[in-house]
Amino acid sequence: MVIQKEKKSCGQVVEEWKEFVWNPRTHQFMGRTGTSWAFILLFYLVFYGFLTAMFSLTMWVMLQTVSDHTPKYQDRLATPGLMIRPKTENLDVIVNVSDTESWDQHVQKLNKFLEPYNDSIQAQKNDVCRPGRYYEQPDNGVLNYPKRACQFNRTQLGICSGIGDPTHYGYSTGQPCVFIKMNRVINFYAGANQSMNVTCAGKRDEDAENLGHFVMFPSNGNIDLMYFPYYGKKFHVNYTQPLVAVKFLNVTPNVEVNVECRINAANIATDDERDKFAGRVAFKLRINKT
Amino acid sequence: MRQKRSEIYSVELSGTKDIVRTDQGDDKEKYRGLKNNCLERKKKNQEEDFQKELQLDDHKLNNRELEKKYGTNIIMGLSSTRAAELLARDGPNSLTPPKQTPEIVKFLKQMVGGFSILLWVGAFLCWIAYGIQYSSDKSASLNNVYLGSVLVLVVILTGVFAYYQEAKSTNIMSSFNKMIPQQALVIRDSEKKTIPAEQLVVGDIVEVKGGDQIPADIRVLSSQGCRVDNSSLTGESEPQPRSSEFTHENPLETKNICFYSTTCLEGTVTGMVINTGDRTIIGHIASLASGVGNEKTPIAIEIEHFVHIVAGVAVSIGILFFIIAVSMKYRVLDSLIFLIGIIVANVPEGLLGTVTVTLSLTAKRMAKKNCLVKNLEAVETLGSTSIICSDKTGTLTQNRMTVAHLWFDNQIFVADTSEDHSNQVFDQSSSTWASLSKIITLCNRAEFKPGQENVPIMKKAVIGDASETALLKFSEVILGDVMEIRKRNRKVVEIPFNSTNKFQLSIHETDDPHDKRFLMVMKGAPERILEKCSTIMINGEEHPLDKSTAKTFHTAYMELGGLGERVLGFCHLYLPADEFPETYSFDIDAMNFPTSNLCFVGLLSMIDPPRSTVPDAVTKCRSAGIKVIMVTGDHPITAKAIAKSVGIISANSETVEDIAHRLNIPVEQVNQRDAKAAIVTGMELKDMSLEQLDEILANYQEIVFARTSPQQKLIIVEGCQRQDAVVAVTGDGVNDSPALKKADIGIAMGIAGSDAAKNAADMVLLDDNFASIVTGVEEGRLIFDNLKKTIAYTLTKNIAELCPFLIYIIAGLPLPIGTITILFIDLGTDIIPSIALAYEKAESDIMNRKPRHKKKDRLVNKPLAVYSYLHIGLMQALGAFLVYFTVYAQEGFLPHTLINLRVEWENDNVNDLEDHYGQEWTRYQREYLEWTGYTAFFVGILVQQIADLIIRKTRRNSIFQQGLFRNKVIWVGIASQIIIGLILSYGLGSVTALNFTMLRAQYWFVAVPHAILIWVYDEVRKLFIRLYPGSWWDKNMYY
Repeated sequence: MVIQKEKKSCGQVVEEWKEFVWNPRTHQFMGRTGTSWAFILLFYLVFYGFLTAMFSLTMWVMLQTVSDHTPKYQDRLATPGLMIRPKTENLDVIVNVSDTESWDQHVQKLNKFLEPYNDSIQAQKNDVCRPGRYYEQPDNGVLNYPKRACQFNRTQLGICSGIGDPTHYGYSTGQPCVFIKMNRVINFYAGANQSMNVTCAGKRDEDAENLGHFVMFPSNGNIDLMYFPYYGKKFHVNYTQPLVAVKFLNVTPNVEVNVECRINAANIATDDERDKFAGRVAFKLRINKT
Repeated sequence: MRQKRSEIYSVELSGTKDIVRTDQGDDKEKYRGLKNNCLERKKKNQEEDFQKELQLDDHKLNNRELEKKYGTNIIMGLSSTRAAELLARDGPNSLTPPKQTPEIVKFLKQMVGGFSILLWVGAFLCWIAYGIQYSSDKSASLNNVYLGSVLVLVVILTGVFAYYQEAKSTNIMSSFNKMIPQQALVIRDSEKKTIPAEQLVVGDIVEVKGGDQIPADIRVLSSQGCRVDNSSLTGESEPQPRSSEFTHENPLETKNICFYSTTCLEGTVTGMVINTGDRTIIGHIASLASGVGNEKTPIAIEIEHFVHIVAGVAVSIGILFFIIAVSMKYRVLDSLIFLIGIIVANVPEGLLGTVTVTLSLTAKRMAKKNCLVKNLEAVETLGSTSIICSDKTGTLTQNRMTVAHLWFDNQIFVADTSEDHSNQVFDQSSSTWASLSKIITLCNRAEFKPGQENVPIMKKAVIGDASETALLKFSEVILGDVMEIRKRNRKVVEIPFNSTNKFQLSIHETDDPHDKRFLMVMKGAPERILEKCSTIMINGEEHPLDKSTAKTFHTAYMELGGLGERVLGFCHLYLPADEFPETYSFDIDAMNFPTSNLCFVGLLSMIDPPRSTVPDAVTKCRSAGIKVIMVTGDHPITAKAIAKSVGIISANSETVEDIAHRLNIPVEQVNQRDAKAAIVTGMELKDMSLEQLDEILANYQEIVFARTSPQQKLIIVEGCQRQDAVVAVTGDGVNDSPALKKADIGIAMGIAGSDAAKNAADMVLLDDNFASIVTGVEEGRLIFDNLKKTIAYTLTKNIAELCPFLIYIIAGLPLPIGTITILFIDLGTDIIPSIALAYEKAESDIMNRKPRHKKKDRLVNKPLAVYSYLHIGLMQALGAFLVYFTVYAQEGFLPHTLINLRVEWENDNVNDLEDHYGQEWTRYQREYLEWTGYTAFFVGILVQQIADLIIRKTRRNSIFQQGLFRNKVIWVGIASQIIIGLILSYGLGSVTALNFTMLRAQYWFVAVPHAILIWVYDEVRKLFIRLYPGSWWDKNMYY
């Protein structure tokens, strides 16, 4: 008697399940009658409807605290990061000189990336600003007044501009151009009113040897103050991010070279222990020649 | 009565025979003796042994036959060599301890029990995930290794905790071992030697003196005034005389056998060892007790049920989302990590520990009220108890003979039987009482032990047997210094009580200096005393004893006997001074004085009275829906009398026999349904089928089982358990230990209880007071209610912890809460609040409702799970998401930008991820924001858990009815929650591995509206439950 309660035959289990799904005696489907199901569905409809409304309301209230113009807090962005173009999967620029396809994708990306920098477009949309000074545009009482941007012409990139360049930014000759850009941060006065520039070097001594010579555009890797501050996507529509192009002239082929570029600016620390991209960028360069 | 007794005991002896026999019988009979088949098979060998052994006939043999049977010599004893051979053959004279589960196995069981197995799986998945990551990328982050290790740490900590709790519960066998006498005086090679009792073998001749324990089952060869205390074995509270005479067919009844582990109280005895070790009677009971499986406690079943539910939810959601993730083209490795997150989020890691702590808090509280709980889970068992099988002697009664009634002057007087005897109100003015009290005082050999001047009379230790002690204390209370009275009435000569005379007589000088007569006083069995009398004293005057006075005597005698009391008759005679001058020399052997034509003075009856607190306790049990059944080894008449006086049989209910007697019709004609009460003797029980027993247990509200054996106690307990009842058994003797073990909760008496009983029990009543059980029931019920609250509280946040993973997988948001953070909630902020719920007061009078049905009233039922998961849990999740979205939005990632951002977000090589405003973020900047998100989500849950904690204080009443501040511990819990949260965020915010950051102060308040909503919603729920009991709402929303 007692022992039977534990073990049920398979048939019984199936039978119980059947009865659970549809019990013809009590007209219960899954343990509830039709009215009960109706009640429960109605209840959850109302209840969840209410919850959704409540959540939407609180979210709406919350969004009122957020301006469309500038973020409320920027505490995480005190130090802008640096990045390279072409953007690759693992931050490595690998060029097989003989294999067109290996670098063609980089070239395509760069073409697309540099398109807005074309002089014609810049001339059409952006102002010519005075170098060496921040291009400040106060609202002057007009809330969120649209901002103008300064010109950064593609020709400033010299032989890395890719204009009329048969070497495809040097990729076809094994002398690739890599573009360094600094992350946009709203209302950030980079350089603290002093000039700043980007420098690159091999990460370790052997890297420095293998790296060989390189040239930078604009010269010296300078980034001008007139491109700052940034006023945000919405009101600084045609903002053109300043770039520094680095052309590596004689990288030792067939070795991986670790390159690190930093920005030298008075108010940008480049020695953050945890954030390896704060004010600097590290990437791998490898030129394969047969 | 003698005849009956022998039959009753044969039940016990053939109890196992039933099992063996019915093995071939039909299935329904099969489980008569023991519950389950495999146990039966396992025990079969033992039982056949038992059966064979109990065909003991040594008591019938004479000395010569005994010598022959055991190859020994009564004078010279065994030879050492023969003894050594026998020792080698039979093994040492000790009880074999049962096989114990090795400690390491117990420990490992804890390591894989409950949720542990899920967490192990989680930990291994973590390590596997790291292994895969490492094999493809040597610089893979160690996060998964940390997480795996933390999970293992959690498992081990909770496992060690549980193991430690379990290790506290003791083993029953140890007590049987403790009872073994250490040394025995034995005759071997014609010399008396002292040897360790373990080395005794059958055939040894041993000598035992007063105060010693009997070293083995022995057949008495000769004895001098030996009395043994068999109470631990048979429940008889009186000392039993032992002599070499064969007095009874039944080995348990005959006077010439002493049992192993019983105590020789006085005198000396020489006997032959006839059984040793496990083959002794006590050995059989021990094996019976240890053979009874320990049932799972109701709370253990409930927790298992709960673990199944939660594990089921965790695993099914985990697997479902694993499949979803894989089919959404996530990498299998990532899907595995999601699976771990889901498991960790779903498993309330801290809950089982919390339950243990909660139970031990209650156990401590109960210990203060004299209920010592040995097995923690038993704390709750008492609360769900629906039947209490109570032993009579010592539990319901004081276990002390006490004068209950007096009869003199043709009148019955009631004496006060309460614990202190203080209130003796019967008429003491009659001069018959003066004579009677003199007899009581003088015809008594009992004396107080010296040096107890300051001890209350009722607590003084006395030298003498139970009834003499009762009389001594009775007279001391009423008359004052008894010893002084005895001194004034110097005793000249006395004949002590013996079983052939059945009376006790003494002759005294009187304390009146002018009266030179001797006073002869006598007491004894009433009918024998009456035979010796020719007159009777009424109102101080002697009247001839005629038929009508004899009839009133008999009526009174029958009435007192019918109350289950032991009646004594008292008479006296002033010996004429001329025949018996002062110098007369009395000779008790020659009997040179008259012993007939005495003057009958009165009757006095004694009983072991109920404890004064018991009737009230029984009433309380009744109103709490608990059936109280008396199961005793004592006679039915006594049992019924006590049952009536304590209310186990209530005043207006009748047994079938009572009805028959009242209507003057044969018992068979009585409609069984008319009777509310039943008295079943062991003899009747023996002839019953299980169905009949079930029927009795189901149909009668008030049941008394009398003259039952240990085996039958087991059967009764099993019968009750078949009714789906949770059975509590109280008892004190060794004979109770199998039933104590079998019961869902065994309750032993702390003072009177034998060690075996205490060890078999789950709970010990330190003050032997039945009323303490009521306290236990109350605490047990409260803890069940409060555990519900604790579990509901703990389960709620699981949804809030789970939703982030689901959203993360489906909508691709940056992960809202990390696995480590979840562990900090489960094992950090939530622990103290969930324990605090254990201090919550009851919502209504829990002692006025029925005990819970162990199959229907589950700890975790559907409404509880649904309400916690789908109502409050969901609200919490929404509230926590609000905080999360707020943090992200105010930093630049508005909610819509987050959708499907996961892949980019987590890509270490994307260091210029654009936010809503066009700003670009490095990976580390995003990661830090993600941790801030974890902290925000954590704080969101924390704030709402405070609301959850407050609403869980009650299940039905409004918080304001319950009182917001009555349970101070709740506030300690809330404070702890906040403080731990603050420490984690602001104190440990810089420890990278913990993934906490310093959160802006205002984010602590973002979830407050949702917290308030939770409170309001739950108040509405409770309001509707109170307004519309039994409605659809009540059924679906009350947990």
